[in-house]
Amino acid sequence: MWVRQGDQLMDGRVTISELEKVYGEGAERTKAIENLSFEVEGGEFVSVVGPSGCGKSTLLYLIAGFLDITSGTIAVDDEPIDGPGTDRGVVFQDYALFPWRTVFENVTYGLEEDGVPKEERQSIAQKYIDLVDLDGFEDKYPKELSGGMKQRVGIARTLAYEPKILLMDEPFGALDQPLREALQDQLRDIWADVGKTIVFITHDVEEAVYLSERVLIMTRHPGTKKTVTEVDLDRSGTREEIVTSDEFADYKNTVWKSLHEETQTEVKL
Amino acid sequence: MRHATSRRIEGLPAPIQGVAQTLVDWIPLGILVLLWELASGTVVAEAVLPPPTTVVGEIVELIVTGDVFSHLFISLFRIGVGLGLSILAGVLLGVGMARSDPVENFFDIFLSMTYPIPKTALVPLAILWLGVGTEAAILIVFLACLLPIVLNSYNAAVDVDQNLVWSAQMMGTSDREMLYKVIFPATVPEIMTGIRQAVPIAFIALVSAELIASNQGIGYLILTSGQIGNYPTMFANIVIISAVAFVAVRGFEETRDRVLVWT
Repeated sequence: MWVRQGDQLMDGRVTISELEKVYGEGAERTKAIENLSFEVEGGEFVSVVGPSGCGKSTLLYLIAGFLDITSGTIAVDDEPIDGPGTDRGVVFQDYALFPWRTVFENVTYGLEEDGVPKEERQSIAQKYIDLVDLDGFEDKYPKELSGGMKQRVGIARTLAYEPKILLMDEPFGALDQPLREALQDQLRDIWADVGKTIVFITHDVEEAVYLSERVLIMTRHPGTKKTVTEVDLDRSGTREEIVTSDEFADYKNTVWKSLHEETQTEVKL
Repeated sequence: MRHATSRRIEGLPAPIQGVAQTLVDWIPLGILVLLWELASGTVVAEAVLPPPTTVVGEIVELIVTGDVFSHLFISLFRIGVGLGLSILAGVLLGVGMARSDPVENFFDIFLSMTYPIPKTALVPLAILWLGVGTEAAILIVFLACLLPIVLNSYNAAVDVDQNLVWSAQMMGTSDREMLYKVIFPATVPEIMTGIRQAVPIAFIALVSAELIASNQGIGYLILTSGQIGNYPTMFANIVIISAVAFVAVRGFEETRDRVLVWT
């Protein structure tokens, strides 16, 4: 299934082929990811769920190019990746903002690195700060912000330099429920607006079903693809209408059952 | 040294509270000075322990005649250059060793070996190499201040959050730029801690060096006035350099707090 924009194939396709990741050597050797092949289409929103220790964060950092691939390949638009690149942007669970830079300076960092002229930098940064509802906080330092605000800065910072692919590592995991829901809705809106590929790591089944078009469920240790669930929800209604619908419950059950089989094996071990 | 919670006075209107707090903070010193005044000439001979009133008179004299300033400026110059060089070299070494194995492997042995040496023990060596005077004093100040700055910046640069480095990488920062765009700013708070530790050490090292290897400076004045039995002048110079050191520490703390608004 290709996502098409007009007649063009959308950019930002991630192709993972026979991926393997091994940490350590000799007796310390542990296989984190094994024989994983998967494709995320350009502009698609995919969530990755799995029991803890299944290597889902490892997968994200491999796609980001932060970690070295043991064997197999990861390609973006058919071009195998070689280290980090500005075509991919990560939103970290712990925000990873530069504490010595203000909100504004955090958001402009990627643009500075890209050599964007100052005036243009400022207007782009302002656009994304407004997009995540942080206007008025431009001159604050990260320490002056709440967790939810920090994560919105993290999202704005990553959107600002316009990567084709957003890689999100349990970005709302540290936030409380109402805030998490608000940010999920904001993320859906942003995704609809800017049309990016999103790979979203979470351990929250409801979050995965609510947000994404497909959910990749991974096996536990070593991690590989267990099943993929297509989520074909009508998302035109309100959150309440969506999450209380029967189809939402069905998708949630499907994903949950598949995930639960994995957590069961974990308990037996 | 003072913690925010110690000896707090509360429940007074703000301006009065500020004055009262200052008074309370200085009471112990006041008591000491008073006892000193009483002991001088009674318990201890005045010649050996001149009373504070005499010492204050001598300080005023030194300042009014301007005799002390040329020596004080020489001392401060030596501290400024020695400490400045140690900050420069200390940060480069600390961050360099933390982020590069070859640099660490090369310098580690020198730092491990020089760490336990009392730096003032090297004063005679400094005289041998550099002669009596400013260069020797600067070398001793430099060596004494180097380690706290290296250690603090090293530890901080080793512990820089990997996610910050990755964040910068994904936005296009090269490995070389990483040092001054991420590693250095992330390390600044601990560098400041290292400098804060080094400032008093600089004064200790300076006076030790000047006592032996100098014809100028406050340390030299302390020594010579002591040798000719002019104890009020000796005490006056001790008080002056102590006061200057105190102001330097406080001044640095103020500057640090202003630089580190983001922490």
